[in-house]
Amino acid sequence: MSLKDVVVMVDQLRVMMLTWEFPPRVIGGISPHVYYLSKNLAKEGVKVYVVTCDFPGTPDHEIVDGAEVFRIDSYKNPSPDFASWVYLMNMNMQKEAAAIVKSLGGVDIFHAHDWLVANAGIGLKHVFRRPLLATIHSTEIGRRNGLHSDYERMIHETEAWLTYEAWRVICCSNYMVSHVKWAFNLPEDKLVMIPNGVDVKEYERSTVDLNQFRRRFALPEEKIVLYVGRLVYEKGIQVLISAIPKILEKVNAKFVIVGNGYMKEPLWEKVKHMGLAHKVLFTGFVDDETLRNLQKCADVSVVPSLFEPFGIVALEAMAAKSPVVVSDTGGLSELVEHDLTGVKVYPDNPDSLAWGITRVLLDEAYANKLRENAYRMVVEKYNWEKISRQTKSVYERVLSEYSRTFWA
Amino acid sequence: MRVVIFSWEYPPRIVGKLASYVKELAWQLTQTGIETFLVTYHEYLTGEFENGGVKVYRVTNPVKTHISVLTWVLTLNQEVERVAANIYYKSGKQIDLIDVQDWHFIPAAVTLKKAFEIPFIYSVESLEDHRSHEANSPFNMAIKSIEWLGTYEANAVVVKSDWMANEVIRAYKVPEAKVKVVNPEAKHWLESILKVYNELKGRCSYG
Repeated sequence: MSLKDVVVMVDQLRVMMLTWEFPPRVIGGISPHVYYLSKNLAKEGVKVYVVTCDFPGTPDHEIVDGAEVFRIDSYKNPSPDFASWVYLMNMNMQKEAAAIVKSLGGVDIFHAHDWLVANAGIGLKHVFRRPLLATIHSTEIGRRNGLHSDYERMIHETEAWLTYEAWRVICCSNYMVSHVKWAFNLPEDKLVMIPNGVDVKEYERSTVDLNQFRRRFALPEEKIVLYVGRLVYEKGIQVLISAIPKILEKVNAKFVIVGNGYMKEPLWEKVKHMGLAHKVLFTGFVDDETLRNLQKCADVSVVPSLFEPFGIVALEAMAAKSPVVVSDTGGLSELVEHDLTGVKVYPDNPDSLAWGITRVLLDEAYANKLRENAYRMVVEKYNWEKISRQTKSVYERVLSEYSRTFWA
Repeated sequence: MRVVIFSWEYPPRIVGKLASYVKELAWQLTQTGIETFLVTYHEYLTGEFENGGVKVYRVTNPVKTHISVLTWVLTLNQEVERVAANIYYKSGKQIDLIDVQDWHFIPAAVTLKKAFEIPFIYSVESLEDHRSHEANSPFNMAIKSIEWLGTYEANAVVVKSDWMANEVIRAYKVPEAKVKVVNPEAKHWLESILKVYNELKGRCSYG
């Protein structure tokens, strides 16, 4: 072991996270992911700097649960399209991050989340000659089920560029590791699987009487079947709607659909046409607390996705001790062990989905067994303390490799 | 003195008049003993070259498919930064000045200024206001915002005529003292350039 290795291990490791969203700016899953990761890395003794887009009413610089957060000018001028805005935002993020790194006297590693901060991460890597890590949460080719325009190809190539420049690429499921390896032609040893996490403590705090709360959504004699997600084709909500008559033949239930999307209107028309308007409730977006209480009340949580990189909704349901029924695809296949931590059904198959849901609703002992097993698994395998330790060890491995390069 | 010039055109890549001007400028600078690096773009002739004493670095775009010159420029800047950083580290962390020709590589120059306190000149060949005939679509405004960033962050703005000096001052509210007129047709244009270079050399004033 060289002297340099010792120095790396003794000094506090300094990571700069680059992310286009961080609470209270929440657009998708990256914001909570980076929040929990940063908070728990800080607990592990890592010095975390988060550089993110500004948000109305938030300070430019603050400490959030141990992580030092810098909010930069996210480019508010009009942009011709979303991708152009992203690149312009990166121009600002990079220049401000460069000034921050200089004022801090350097950082050890840059960690970029998705193509949305690719330019900034890659530029900072070369300017400061420090290793870059990338977490790929999702891909353009997966989201769009192929590449159909120059716009989509440009984003795909930007993602490829980020994975090319990254020292390691982190994905949150084995499914995503395979997908990203295929999409960008990456060597096996560049990829690391570290799962996403969920904080079960968020579900322990109780502020309302759940029996009272439940009445806002369903009659006492109705079981609650809960769907949480965008109302878009790849999430498979239409499969659930088609399965409803078969389920109602066996059990009295209310179907609570949380989320919005382009399929909301057509689905509502379909539900009315089926004569099920009194059995299906579309809530739209709900706040975090309502969502958690709903998940706690749900007699079954359904994730019928056709494409799913990870399936955080299933994990959250498990943390809320709701039994889950998921389609056997993508990240969901890995999250759920059939008959042990949930029920797996055939994707895009209403009969199979109806079978899975009625099985859970009609057998309380079975449902309770799933709840307990799943909750235990979430606590053991998907807790942020463990995920942060895994991430920290990737940082240390990369820095040790880096210390033997001519950049060091 | 060690100077790095950024230009999106340089022979054999010729888009407009800028290529021959930049070629002449770089060559003249080396003749006066200035160590001159030139960072430019070529689709495939990438790498390090030597051209009459000028050290030429050509980079290509890491993202091939684009929807506009705006997105094309914004992913190319990181390659310009990478090469400029390599020059910086190889030369004992000493670059006296960056001279950015037109708006394309302003983002790279600004980041390098923030990171290493290298002063830069924004040399204006033309303005988006004139190229796009006062169009104000989000696309034009985005390019204008990059030109503005150049005038704001640059330690000096060099223009080629009194008319352009007025235009820059009008369009981006640049303080008059920051704008230097150097007419390439004039007899002592190189001396005028060197005067600006020497004034800024190693001086990086924030704010």
